[in-house]
Amino acid sequence: MQRLGKLLGESLLFLITATAAIAVFLIIFFIAKDAWPFFRTPGMIGEFFGSTKWYPSREPAEFGALSIFVGTGLVTLGAVIVAVPLGVAAAVCLSDLLPFSVRQLVKPVIEILAAIPSVAYGFFALVVFAPQMQENGGGMLAVGGWIVGLPIGLLAAFVLSDLSSTRAPEKARIPVRTILFLLLTALAAWGLFLLSARLSAITVSSGTNALNVSIILGIMALPTVVSVSEDALQAAGRELRQGSYALGATRAETICLVIIPAAASGICAAVILGVMRAIGETMVVWMASGNAAQIPTPWYNLLEPVRTLTATIAGDMGEADHSIGSLRYTVLFAMAFCLLIFSLLCNVASEYVVRRARKKLGG
Amino acid sequence: MQLSTRHVLDRAFSSLGIVAIALMGAALVLLLGPIVIRGSGALVFRGTVEHRRLMLELFQRGDAEELDEELALARKAREPLYEKIAECEADLKSLGFARRREVRGALHELKEVMRELLGPAPGTPKPVMPRDQYGQTRWERAELKLKDVLFIEKWDYSDPTQMGKKTLAPRIEDFKGTPLETNGFFTYAETHLDEMLRPNWTFYWQFLTDRSYDAHFFGGIWPEMLGTFYLTFGAMLFALPLGVIAAVYLTEYAGAGPIISGLRVCISTLAGVPSIVFGLFGLAFFINTLGVSSSKSVLAGSLTLGLLVLPTVIRASEEAIRAVPKTYREAALSLGAGKWHTVMTVVLPAALPGILTGLVISMGRAAGETAPIIFTAAVSVGQPLKLGQVFSQPTPALPWNIYNLCTEHEAVDEIRHVQYGMVFVLVGLVLLLNTAAIILRARISKKLHG
Repeated sequence: MQRLGKLLGESLLFLITATAAIAVFLIIFFIAKDAWPFFRTPGMIGEFFGSTKWYPSREPAEFGALSIFVGTGLVTLGAVIVAVPLGVAAAVCLSDLLPFSVRQLVKPVIEILAAIPSVAYGFFALVVFAPQMQENGGGMLAVGGWIVGLPIGLLAAFVLSDLSSTRAPEKARIPVRTILFLLLTALAAWGLFLLSARLSAITVSSGTNALNVSIILGIMALPTVVSVSEDALQAAGRELRQGSYALGATRAETICLVIIPAAASGICAAVILGVMRAIGETMVVWMASGNAAQIPTPWYNLLEPVRTLTATIAGDMGEADHSIGSLRYTVLFAMAFCLLIFSLLCNVASEYVVRRARKKLGG
Repeated sequence: MQLSTRHVLDRAFSSLGIVAIALMGAALVLLLGPIVIRGSGALVFRGTVEHRRLMLELFQRGDAEELDEELALARKAREPLYEKIAECEADLKSLGFARRREVRGALHELKEVMRELLGPAPGTPKPVMPRDQYGQTRWERAELKLKDVLFIEKWDYSDPTQMGKKTLAPRIEDFKGTPLETNGFFTYAETHLDEMLRPNWTFYWQFLTDRSYDAHFFGGIWPEMLGTFYLTFGAMLFALPLGVIAAVYLTEYAGAGPIISGLRVCISTLAGVPSIVFGLFGLAFFINTLGVSSSKSVLAGSLTLGLLVLPTVIRASEEAIRAVPKTYREAALSLGAGKWHTVMTVVLPAALPGILTGLVISMGRAAGETAPIIFTAAVSVGQPLKLGQVFSQPTPALPWNIYNLCTEHEAVDEIRHVQYGMVFVLVGLVLLLNTAAIILRARISKKLHG
């Protein structure tokens, strides 16, 4: 009797736990169920993935979502470009460089960045950032170019002059090196001047564009990237670091050549999770991407407005849910289905990568 | 490579990391700065006499006699302006036909702007819309409106290769040859705005608890606050029991096996589903299939949000339960308590602070999510709901209305302070919850280590 009760209780607990799993299957089923009529319509798949003509409310309606897919990819790529270098650098700093007390101060900053609701980011992007960008977009781009380019240029000049001066005879080494360094620095500065002149001549016709959204999405994805890659870096272990130091490597060399390769799969998982965060985000892109269903010319031109899958679903459902079952309604489910499949794949990939990393570091 | 170069590279590398951290901090400050500064402007601002009139007439707040005195003073200060306009109107007959039409048009425009600045002119019928019944209630808006009285915005499209340029033309030029040019109307308006509107520093805390009037032109954000509370608590009511039970099962009962690891994969998958997909699912499943309500409702929104935060709750509770030392369980078991008894009386109470931390963080998440409630619960305009209505009625909610007010409202620029106020309140709420979680966590780790 008691055993029966125990069995019953445990299966009840299991059933409740399985709610989450059931929910996943229900989500996939219901999104697929409403997307199915769209994909089943003859010729629709080709139009959906192959055409850029998105006119859902015109007669006859056209559902070419290619430009929307490109827009989604573009802002996600932009977000990754912003979030990954910054995030990995910050994670390295947190795991290897900063003392414990400072780390305790930085952690809340990351937590707050992660906690701020997406609509607040969207509001900032639309109301504060977009007008600024529209007004002095060229100047901002030029300043950004200097901030990124100057340290890189200086370091490159330094390293290059060092490397090439080793060929010079012993006595001439220092003067050669200095002269080379000055020359290369001047070259880099000249290049930067040219670049910034070109950048500042750019006028941004609309502040609500792919660049705006990319930067904001990048900031939103930062906490994920930082915390996951920090975990990966920490998991790389002390022995590895000590071994590298014992061979005479500096801290930077240890991190770049030993720790980061060892933690590569964890960092890879961090990037995947960051991508998921950026691609699934709705409010920021809906508010600040401009919502123009077009492929920018050239395709990498981030200063043009774009439209993404999530924003299309959010924006069009208001008109489409009066006609449940119509193509106009099901096409949104088709988009959601694509998003869902993509995030499932990402999830599986990140699980796989993390598991492999654990195995590698563990054994 | 020389040793000195390697050292320089090492330093550069360190500073790179520090720059990244600093950039992150700067992003946070840049983001929160405008929201906090301008958002608190919704609560603390220089309110004009029109604001006090509004408070008295719409909310029966303030002293009627005092206000009457103040209004009398303000009216007296405004009188010369209306007299000067009347003077100009009387003089219209002396103008030629074409000029008279022009000036009449310009006068009409001027009166319109004056109404926006000071409220309806004495002797005119009361306008229908509440927004037209009052002048500018906020001093900084009044100063902007004064610019509209003094200048006319003109757009210059003469250069077709460039975007139109905005220029400000003095309004006085429209009134050449009329009394308005010479009788000092514009200088009076410019110099006497203070006396006409009598600004005072006002602490309008009722912004949080007032209902909104006339599509957020006046009043506060109570319906949105209430809607967010309902949605958040509803989501927690759903997610907390499920999440904690699941965590108990996963930590205390489940063995290792393909089913359990599949379950875990499902939970992490659920955490990765984009929030907008949750919204569509809520629409397709809770509303169109289960029919928990005939259309959008707080209940449907809460269920959707609950599902969204379920993985977070499970993970946090699992961690909290795992952190309870094994000795606790062993002690309880050795005293003869059953497994279930041990879990309920020993493990869960010990894990409670950790579970609470997870709960608080998920509450912040649920309160701030917009995408899942667009199709399931949120409407733009609505009254504060009674508790019984949550099963069938949609509600306004802070995140949705922030979106709505700053993109779809008819007068986006006029109500910036309300938008900032809403963002400020929402962000404040979420950060408060997160701070609580951080403090809670610090206390737990102290307790476990000490």
